[in-house]
Order: sequence, then C-alpha cells, then structure tokens
Amino acid sequence: MQKKLVVLLTLVLVFSVFSVVGAQEEVNSPNTFTYVNIGDQSTLDPHFAYDTGSSEVIYQVYETLIGYDGESVKNFTPLLSTEVPSQENGLISEDGSDYTFLIREGVEFSNGNSLTAEDVKYSFLRGMISDRSGGPIWMLYEPLFGAGFAGLSDVTADVVGVEDPKQLTDEQAEKVLAVLEDKITVDGNRVTFHLESPYPPFLNILAQGASWGSILDKEWSIEQGAWDGTAADIVASHDPVKEEDPLFDKMMGTGPFVLTEWVNGDHVVFNRNNNYWRGPANFKTAIIRNVDEWSTRKLMLLRGDADMIYAPTQYRSQVEGEDGIVVTTGIPALQNMNMILNWDITTEGNSYIGSGKLDGEGIPSDFFADEDVRKAFSYAFNYEAFIEQVRMGEAIQLRGPIVDPLLGYDENSKVYSLNLEKAEEHFQKAFDGELWETGFTMDLVYNSGNDPRKTAADMLKSYIERINPKFNINVRGVQWSTYLDASVRGTLPASFGGWLADFPDPHNFVQPFLDSSGYYANRRGDTYKNWADEVGINDLIAEGISTTDSARREEIYKKLQKMSIDNAIDLWIDQPTKSNTRRTWVKGWYPNAVRPGVDFYSMDKVAE
Amino acid sequence: MINYIIRRFLILPFILFGVTILVFSMIMMLGPYQRLSTYINDPAQLKGQDMDKLISKYGLDDPWYEQYSRWIGGVVHGDFGWSESAGQPVTEAIFSRFPATLELALFAVIPVVMGGIWLGVLSAVHHNQKFDHIIRIISTIGWSFPTFVFGLLVLMIFYGVLGWFPPGRLSADAAAIIRSAEFVRYTGLNVLDGILNLEINVVFDAFRHLIGPIVTLAIVWWSYILRITRSSMLETLRKDYIRTARAKGVAEKFVINKHARRNALIPVVTVAGPMVLGLLGGVVIVESVFGYRGIGQYAAQAAQQLDYSGILGVAMYFSFLLILINLIVDVSYAVIDPRIRLE
Amino acid sequence: MEWKEILTRLIKNKLSLFGLIIILFFVLVAVFAPYLAPPRSPEDAYEIPRAGWQVEPQPPREGYLFGTAQGSYDIFYGMVWGTRTAFRIGVIVVGLSSLFGIIIGTLSAYYGGIIDEFFMRITDVFMSIPFLVAAMVLTTILGKGLDNVMIALVTFGWMGTARLMRSQVLEIKNEEFVQASIALGASDTRIIFKHIIANCIFPVLIQAFMRMGSMVITASALSFLGVGAPEGYADWGQMITFARDWILGGQGSALKYWYTVVIPGTAIMLFSLSWNLIGDAFRDILDPKLN
Repeated sequence: MQKKLVVLLTLVLVFSVFSVVGAQEEVNSPNTFTYVNIGDQSTLDPHFAYDTGSSEVIYQVYETLIGYDGESVKNFTPLLSTEVPSQENGLISEDGSDYTFLIREGVEFSNGNSLTAEDVKYSFLRGMISDRSGGPIWMLYEPLFGAGFAGLSDVTADVVGVEDPKQLTDEQAEKVLAVLEDKITVDGNRVTFHLESPYPPFLNILAQGASWGSILDKEWSIEQGAWDGTAADIVASHDPVKEEDPLFDKMMGTGPFVLTEWVNGDHVVFNRNNNYWRGPANFKTAIIRNVDEWSTRKLMLLRGDADMIYAPTQYRSQVEGEDGIVVTTGIPALQNMNMILNWDITTEGNSYIGSGKLDGEGIPSDFFADEDVRKAFSYAFNYEAFIEQVRMGEAIQLRGPIVDPLLGYDENSKVYSLNLEKAEEHFQKAFDGELWETGFTMDLVYNSGNDPRKTAADMLKSYIERINPKFNINVRGVQWSTYLDASVRGTLPASFGGWLADFPDPHNFVQPFLDSSGYYANRRGDTYKNWADEVGINDLIAEGISTTDSARREEIYKKLQKMSIDNAIDLWIDQPTKSNTRRTWVKGWYPNAVRPGVDFYSMDKVAE
Repeated sequence: MINYIIRRFLILPFILFGVTILVFSMIMMLGPYQRLSTYINDPAQLKGQDMDKLISKYGLDDPWYEQYSRWIGGVVHGDFGWSESAGQPVTEAIFSRFPATLELALFAVIPVVMGGIWLGVLSAVHHNQKFDHIIRIISTIGWSFPTFVFGLLVLMIFYGVLGWFPPGRLSADAAAIIRSAEFVRYTGLNVLDGILNLEINVVFDAFRHLIGPIVTLAIVWWSYILRITRSSMLETLRKDYIRTARAKGVAEKFVINKHARRNALIPVVTVAGPMVLGLLGGVVIVESVFGYRGIGQYAAQAAQQLDYSGILGVAMYFSFLLILINLIVDVSYAVIDPRIRLE
Repeated sequence: MEWKEILTRLIKNKLSLFGLIIILFFVLVAVFAPYLAPPRSPEDAYEIPRAGWQVEPQPPREGYLFGTAQGSYDIFYGMVWGTRTAFRIGVIVVGLSSLFGIIIGTLSAYYGGIIDEFFMRITDVFMSIPFLVAAMVLTTILGKGLDNVMIALVTFGWMGTARLMRSQVLEIKNEEFVQASIALGASDTRIIFKHIIANCIFPVLIQAFMRMGSMVITASALSFLGVGAPEGYADWGQMITFARDWILGGQGSALKYWYTVVIPGTAIMLFSLSWNLIGDAFRDILDPKLN
C-alpha cells in the first residue's frame, strides 16, 4: 500500500515536470470575460476615484462626453455628445474659452432614465462641490477658474472670503453656487463650459478614461443621497469621508455594463447592459479578479480560466510563446520614472546624509544645488543597461519630464549616457574641487519592494564608488510609510519619482515636475523653487497652458525639456512601455495609453 | 469546572483591553505622516495630495489617548471603525471573510489532525525502523520549506497540470448561482449552503477550491502533529502498564489502540487548541497564494498597511476565538484524561 | 549528568551524530565565510553582490557556482554569508526569548498569587494576536532589517517557554527537597537558582533546540510578506523568497529555475533537521524516566 502511494506520487511528480500545459481548442466560457489583475479599487465614485484600479471599474459603467479614436490619445470621437467641439464646427468659441457639447438623444441610463443636458450639468457641478481633498477635481477648477484655482476652497475664498467650504453660511453658499453655475450653462440639449481663459487640453480632461468626466443620472444620484442640487447642501456634500460618500459602492451609468457585485480586493462582476445605445456587449458577464500572486495569475491564463492577465515585464518570458497565449509589447504608456535630486536637504534629524557636512563623512544640505554634482550623477547611470536588463528592452530613455508622444517630445534631443570620464570631470569641478578631495557619504533610499528603484540605486552606487574610493553611497530600503514621511519632510537626498498622466498633454508633466508650485518642486526645496522662478521656467509653463497656438506650445515645451537636461535638474531615467497578455481567442483588443486598464466592450471571444 | 469557566469569562475583558493597548501603542510609535500611508497605498497616488489636510481629516495628529478613546468609544457602540485596507467597516470585513476561513479550517482540521496522529502513531510503533526514518525525514522537509513553496507546487500540480483544483473560492458559474435571488445564504459556508439549497454544482465547485489549500496546510501541519504524537506515543509505550499488558500477552494491536493511543493523545489535545488557532492565523500565506479571500489574507494586508482599526479588529476577534478554543480544549482534556474525568 | 557523558552519547547515536556533523559543517562555513566568498568590502559583507542588473535568474555557471537569483544576486555568496545570519537569528532569538520565558515562568510559578495572575494575563495578551500578524506589525513599525526582525520575533516568541517553565516549576515546587529548603529558610534566589531552575531547565532546552531551525523559516515567512531582511541581504529566508515568482518555471520547463528553490531550501532543511535530531537525542538522554 505504501509502495503504491510512492509510485503514484512519483508519477504525478514526473508527469508535472515534463508535461506542458495543454492548449485548449475551444473557447472557455464564451459568455464570460475574465481579466485577472493585481491591487484593488479604492472607491466607485467617479469624483472621488484617483487611482487606476477604481478608474478601470468606472470606465465600464459610466461614460464621458467624448471618447478617443482607437489608439490615439489626440483624436476624439463623439460619445454622449454627438459632436466633438472644435473651432471649425463652431462649438469652441473664437477665443478658445467656450466649449459647447450637444447631448445625444435617446440614451438611457441602465435604470431606464433618459440622459438629459441637465444630467450633464449636474454631474460636473456635483464633482466640483464634492471635491475631496487630494482628489482629481483640481483638473476642472484650473481651466474653469484659471491658474491658482485648484478646488472649491479657492473659489469660496475668492467669492465670499471663506477659506473652508465647510464653514459656509447658507447665504454665502448661494453666492458660491451661482458662480459655479455660471461656468456651465444649459440651453436645450446644449451644454456650454465657460473657461476663464483658453486651456488647450480641456477636451482631454473630459474625455474617455477620465473618471471625473463621467456623466451621472441626476435623479438617481439625489435618491442615493449625493448632492441634491441646492446651495444649502454644499456644506454637507463637500469633501466627503470615503466611506460616507453615497456613491462609494453604487453605480448607475449609461455604459455597456452594469455593476453586479463588488468585493473589494477580490473581484468585480459586471453584467451586460442590454439596452446599451451602441448595442449590447459581446458577452453577458465581465469579471475583474484581483490576484496578487504572479504564479497563480499565470496558471489561470494557461488553463484558460483567465482571458487576460496583468503580467509584469520581468516575468513575461515565462508565458511568452506558450500555445494559445498572445503578448503585445511596446505599448506606449504616459508615465515616467526619474530620480528627484533634493537641492535643499533638510538636515535636522536626518540620518540619510551622514555628518551633514562636506567632510567625507556626509553631504551638505546644498549638495545637489551644485550643478556639477547633478551632472556627474547623470553621467554615472547606465541608462542602456537599465532599459535592456531591468525593463527587458521595454522602455525608452527620458529626455526631460515630457514623454513620448506628447507635444515637445523630440526623439533627437540631447540626453545623458553612461560616461565615467565626464562624471569624473564634473565631480572634480564640484564645490571648487573640494568634493573630490574630501569625498562624501550618503544614502540612496527607495521604498522596499520596488525592485527597479533598488536596481537604479545599486547602479549609481556601483559606478560612483568606482570613480573615487572616497565616494560612499549606501543603498537603503525603507518601508513605504517611512518613505512617505521622509519625502514630505525633505530629508531624502534623492528620491524616486514617477508620474502617470492624468490627461495626455505636456502641461500635465511640466507642471508637477518643473513648476515652483508643482508637486515635485517641493521635494527639491526652496533653492530649486527660487531658481526655477529666476530662470523663467514658471513663466514658460504659464504661457504654455494659455496659448492655443500649437507651434508656439511645441517650442515652449521643447525648451523646457532642454532646460531639464542642460541643468540636470533631476536624473531623468525612463518611460516604461506596457504590454498586454491574453488568450489568442480574445479579439478586438487595442491599446490606448490613456485608458485605465481594459475596455470590455471592444472585445470578443472567438475560437481560432 | 464551572467556576473555572466563569473565571475565564471574567478575565476576558482584561485580555481584550490589554490587546487593544498593545496594538495601539505599537502603532502610535509612528508619526502622523507615516500613518498616513494607510490611506495612500501606492506611490503613484501621492500626486496632488494635500497631506496636511488629509492628516487633520483623519485626526492623525491628535494625541494617542484621544485617538484611542475615539476608537474605544466606537467599539462600545459596536462600531469597530473603518478599515481602509479592506475598504469596508472592520466588522463587515471580518464577518465577510470569516466563513471562508472557517470553512477552510473546518475541512482542514479533520485530515490534518487525524492524518498527523495516524502517521505519528505508525512512526512510534515502528520506532527506529526504516518507516520511522522516512516519515521523520519527510516531516522535516514539510517543516523546513516555507509554506509558499508547497502552496505553489500544489497549485502547479493540481491546477496547472491536472486542472482539478483551481485557485480562488468559487468559479464564475458557481458564484453566479450563489448571487441569484433563489439561493439562500444560511451560513456563508459555500459547501454547506450548497447542500442546504440542493445545488450540487455549488457543493462540488466549492469543494474543488478547498482541496489545494487543505493539501498545503496538511503538508505543513502533519509534520508538527506527527512529531508530538510520535514522541508522546513513544513515552507511553515505555510505561509500566503497557509493558505489563504486553507481558500478559495482550495482542499488540490491542495494546496500541486501546491503551497506548488514548494516553498518548493527551499532549496532542493540549496543542490542538493553539494549533487550530495557528491554522486560522497561519492561513495568511496559503490564502494569499491561492487567492482565497479570508481572514488570514486580511490580517496580512491590514498589518502591512498599518491599518490600525483593521489589525485591532482581527486581534480582538482572535482573542475571543483563542479563549473559546482553550475552553473547548480544557473540556475535551477532561473527557480524555481519566484522572480528571473521575474528579 | 556530566556534559562529557551527554556528548559521548550524542556522538554514539547515529542520528544525532549526523546532526552534529551538519551543524559543524555550517559552523565551519560561517567561520570561513570571508575565505569561501570574499566580500567586496568588509563593511557590507552581508550585501550580496549582483552579477549584473538582469531580473531573470541565471543557472549555475563559472564564477557563480549556484547560479544567480532574481535580480542577479549571487546565490553561492548569499548561502555562505546567510549561514552566519541563520546562526545569528537562531541563537539570539531563541536565547533571548527563552531567557524571558524562563524568568517570567519561574517568577509566576514560584511566587504564585497576584504575581502569577499578572504575568499570565500578560502572556495571554501577547498570545492573543496571531504570531505572524504581530511580528509583521512590529517590523513594519520598526522598519526593515534583521535586527528589527529579531526584536519582533523575541517580543512575540517568549510565551511558549514561559508557560512550559511555569508548569515545570509548579510541579517541582512541591517536591520535598524544595519545601525542605524553604523550611530551612534558604533565600529565594538560592532556591530558584540552586533547585528550581537546575531541575526544570531540560525541557526548556529541548524546546529551544527544536526552535532553532524554525526561526529561519519564520524569518523567511516575514520576507515573503515583505517585512523581512532588506533586499539583497544575505539571508536564507530571503534567498528562497527570491524564488517566489520563478518556482513554477516557464516556457514549457517546470524545472527551468530549480536552483533558486532547491539550493536555499536544502540548506534550511538540513539546518533545521540537524537541530531537531540533536534535540530528539537530547531528550532521550536527559529524560530520567527512560534511563
């Protein structure tokens, strides 16, 4: 009996080692599409969501006024509006500050309510009023109210002098609402947005994939307890706590799918909307499953239980070439990775900079304020090896903050490459030669678990320590919570940054990375902020966003790219591209750099 | 006995209070910005965040006793707070995952405990023979590789190659049946609910999903129980009364089954309590490998994200369970051990 | 019993001899680590050198006897220096947590009453949080790093010993010779050290041996959950965690990356096996009932 067991076990083992998972001839569950991803969803409220996981779900259920034309991130197609506004068709005013949308007739929400222009207006007003802190709604305020306006609090401060919208009296609220309502007007089935001044990427902000541009059913939303349309309700509806937000776990859109079940962190199930105005989807059920373990996702794909999975670049070779699996690589993604150099390191209570002085045992606060140090670092990084080995060829080197294919990106512009002689030259010049004599010691910190960042730091360490034995770099991995804390306090000498586009326009990259009020400027400290102001970076950015002349814009963004490289503001690393891994029976999939995740509606399952 | 049980329940609040203080003081060692990481779990989400505003919104810079009394005030009203890592209220997060883990533990406990005991007895009976050595070596292997290695191998063999036992808790079709209006959720345990609703497909499907995790747990825990049973059995076999029984000519099989095994089980029962708890807590890794949404996975997630209401909830829930299990163990101890039974 | 005699008996028993030999082997590896795998610089000897920047593991080849793991970390180097880490984790964690456990268990049982109640309730509190979760929270708070892992393992690892010690002491406390010393007015310290601890220590010792091996595994579970030793630190647990996403092979060959699992797995297994064998033999020797 024991012998039999041993034989059986051995057989199973041998079998498992030598057999290749068989390819299926037929399509598994033709009526269900399963996409297996990682992570989870934060919320289902389109005005609260600001993460890819949530946006992916919102994308299937809610719709926007306009969409993108296939793979393009520049050309639009009509969606809930029947025409894409342009100056040619007269829907954008001559001065470029009024945008009019003609709302499609005969569209119904999945509960049977008809879509009206009033729903559209309500949707945007509700977004602007709820405006949760740290949320995405600044993207509506900036074009509608002008630079410097990032949220409801800026409007209340301007109109009635109240900094905190939660403190508004009813009377003040009336005034604020009137100002908001003036920005979006309805005339029959026409909805017009009145911008403060021309804002070239405005259509991008409203287009498909932007969950904050979703159109809600006014009647339904009010029934759920969302903002009821009155001034009196502004105080209660502004900046909701996530769990008390009435739309946190409910959805009602015009889109091709309706939400059936959401079990956060495990799965989301959608059922087909049979009355969808573009015709029902190809399968009855669509499922997003969240499985963090790569091997499990891989097996699900190989067995055909998953139709599409998220496969990180480094593991993709494990499934590439298997029968029944197709992999598309090199999909452009509007994201970048760089190393932000802190020009003004906080020395107080800082354990990352050794002695905090230029004595070989540490680095001074203004270490990276020295242009030569920054350039030396830029020359001491092996961009080619990073892209070839860490990204496995699926990335392109950054040429400043702006990524391909946005305006201002020029594939022939100057970049750094690994050059230890040049690096040495710059290190010798730095701090009038003092640095070369004394040497330095510093920490390069990354958040644990992020392997590419760790490798980038290891790379810098390995090359820089080779240049001069007095140079010491310690690579330290810290918990995400510590990393967050340190980057806010400005104690990290250098930190890793990355940006995923909110909308496909260079402004969305230059503003956070280069502007003195931008998100990453804070990480470089006041020295940088003053410098950026002096050399005119801020003015260029302001001009770029208020000019409709495309040629002038291109010139501006090219100049900003050049300045980022010439001054080695940061260590510009790469723009990773994405890939998609799916079964061969999946048809109709197409890439789009702005879309958050999958588009179930466009796909079908057909046997070979 | 009754006194003992009453005493047990009287100290319960003190232990629960102690647990909350312990967990709270650990987490309060961190500053507000560090604890903000609970709410921002991806570096990419940092953009555009007004962190100071978020900190005051969640009250993270209040003194610890204020935060604690806010939390405990909620608990008194049956509200364990919001678990950011689960995106649900804590109570809901625990109760929605509890049936899954309970189901796993219930089905795992029988093969794991019985199999372990059986192997342990066999090994002791064949003391220092080849069979004993093989069993011991295998059990050391079982104990020496991290659980995830076995989990992945089980997944590979039984799912990847054979296609028998898929990961997750239910397949899409069975899940659709469960979601349908006719299906009544009596217990939350899929197998049981399937039987009660006479849905054989659900029963079969739920069971299929349980086997992988159970096999993995069995490999790891067998070696543990086996080891305890074996040494305790060996000790018993050397006792005088066994020798006497043997000398009297009682059949060997009878000696082992009737006399030795029963006494050898006493220490096994003492560890069974913590073991069941260990099974419940130790499913952390198994659940994450198999994509099985249960308490273990939740505990790990909450701990990593420093979601203190989540961790506190799980810890308190485990304390309850621990005390309950220990109670059951004490009772069964009395049943097995003749000395106590007679008193 | 004389230590010499114990040792002789350990050597005479084939199994424990085997265990001793393996442990000795690991000790040698740990001692001669700087010669077996010379570090680039002595300060960061525990940093595993990277053969390149490639993510995919590469099979054994010249210069990399055991191949390279995910991220091009040299497996041979990691195994050699990881031996030191394994001993450090085992000895420090088991030593400190046993010490705590002995102190608390002895005090509780010896003095009884309110002290017993107090210590045992504290023990209950610490036992109420699942071990892995508690250790995770603490390492997350203290930050990554081996020292912090050890602190966490000690903090939540002493309760078993305390309970064992307490039950042992309770048994012995009523023995005649202890009662006699108390009656004779011997000081508490003298009684505790002379009579009680000396007579209760063996079960605790055996338990400690058994825990030596398992500590490496627990540390690896923490690595798996992302809170163990820092990336690239020479630690067996981490070495096997590197294999996580490669265990199942790829491109039709399940064994493609076998070396990433088998090598660290074997080391951990042998290490824990040998401690167990010695522990088993120890029990046989020390258990007076068996003599």
